[in-house]
Amino acid sequence: MSEQISALMDDEIELEDALHVVASLQSSRHNAEAWSCYHLIGDAMRGNALLGADFKHNLMLKIEQEPTVLAPNAIQTNGEKVAGFKDKLPATWSIAASFAAVMVVGWMAMHQQVQSDNVMPAMEVAQADTVEQAIPSEYLMAHRSSVPSTSSYYIQTVNYAQ
Amino acid sequence: MISGKRFVLARNFASATLAAVSFGAAIAFCSPGMQTSDADASWQTLQKAAAAARALSYKGIFVCQTGKQMKSVQITHLFDGTNEFARNVILDGSPREVLSQSGNVVIYNPQNEKIIIEKRRGQNMFPAVLPLNLESIKASYSLRSAADERVAGRQTQVLVLEPKDNLRYSYKFWIDSEYGLLLKSVMFNNRNDVMESIAFNQVELMKTVELDWFKPKIDHNKSYVMEDEQVVIADDHLPVDWEIKELPAGYRKVDQMMRRVPGKPGPIVHVIFSDGLASVSLFIEHIAKSDKSKVIPKNTLTTAGNTSFYANVNNGHLVTVVGEVPEATVVQIGNAVIFKK
Repeated sequence: MSEQISALMDDEIELEDALHVVASLQSSRHNAEAWSCYHLIGDAMRGNALLGADFKHNLMLKIEQEPTVLAPNAIQTNGEKVAGFKDKLPATWSIAASFAAVMVVGWMAMHQQVQSDNVMPAMEVAQADTVEQAIPSEYLMAHRSSVPSTSSYYIQTVNYAQ
Repeated sequence: MISGKRFVLARNFASATLAAVSFGAAIAFCSPGMQTSDADASWQTLQKAAAAARALSYKGIFVCQTGKQMKSVQITHLFDGTNEFARNVILDGSPREVLSQSGNVVIYNPQNEKIIIEKRRGQNMFPAVLPLNLESIKASYSLRSAADERVAGRQTQVLVLEPKDNLRYSYKFWIDSEYGLLLKSVMFNNRNDVMESIAFNQVELMKTVELDWFKPKIDHNKSYVMEDEQVVIADDHLPVDWEIKELPAGYRKVDQMMRRVPGKPGPIVHVIFSDGLASVSLFIEHIAKSDKSKVIPKNTLTTAGNTSFYANVNNGHLVTVVGEVPEATVVQIGNAVIFKK
């Protein structure tokens, strides 16, 4: 059965031909675990983002901390936030048209930021490198954001999105 | 201030390099026929590599490898006589882009459904890994030349930069014999294991002065957000209850700030030290009473890949040191922190 689950995942057999596999995923706890495990392995090998072990816990915690909004329209005024963003844009950068691409994206950020990003799922990036397993990532991130090592511009092993 | 000086130098490298160059003349100065010793000639070659990476216009593909990870990067670098522009596109995995303009670095970093825009102050992006002022490096490292080799289809001069003590790693540089551009750089630890390797596969000089390439590829399906600002007070002059007794030889304080660290209730002290090539971060934070219940080991020392980590509880404070340096360096810096009663 494991082989068939694997084949289904890799699109090696058609879904119509594999209804019994799908049924077994629903009925057998063992097979369901295999399905989820194979996906996890696949994601990790491809370097896709994984959900951390404490993802559910953190998410529930954040939902609990969310204030109950009685008048949703009242929180749409994000004027201060946008003003704050202007300060963050690289002021020393040339405004000359051909260099303005960065500004354009900065502008996009400014406007898209208005969307609520309060519930940022606590994702963790698959970490193949041993550095991050051995060293607390909060300090490593802080170190690399202030003094990036040459390779850290290109090889990113810690998640900056907090 | 020392760090200020570094940045001024970086800004003014145009005039500095234009004085030292044109490059044809610089090559003539470095040729063995001159009345300089071999060591002097090697240092001049290294100086030329530091300048060439910033003052030449080139494009190519290099491969960066550290630990078990490897990425190919496409670089376009242009110097228009006043400003430097560079675009680095990471070709493997997540399509990250790093754009820099004269030391200001902006990283476009896809994270799930968003693209996070991160700002950095870059001083050491390949191939500009060497600072223009080599004096601090001369104090801590010795330089010798090795047999010429061929890299990325180019003839190169090979230089080995070795530390005078066990407080830093050693480097090997492959420098284009004709143009002085750094084509390959490898960092070794004290046991001669490769810690980090970056090398061009192909590279060519550009004649263009067009900047139409200097923009990120924009993904309209994703939202772009700025990274949260982490530095709270950039230049920290607040009174402190600690001092740093004696730093490891060759390391100087280059920056100090208050910064937010995820998982910490308030901003913590962040001090940065450098010997000109390697950088170390020192973090100092109060241990809150509520944290006492957590098990904080008295001393922690870890080395993983090219990074060393040291944590130490001292007088009700957690002192943490992290950097791309040998263990001895992080331990010495961590133990140099003295708290005033």
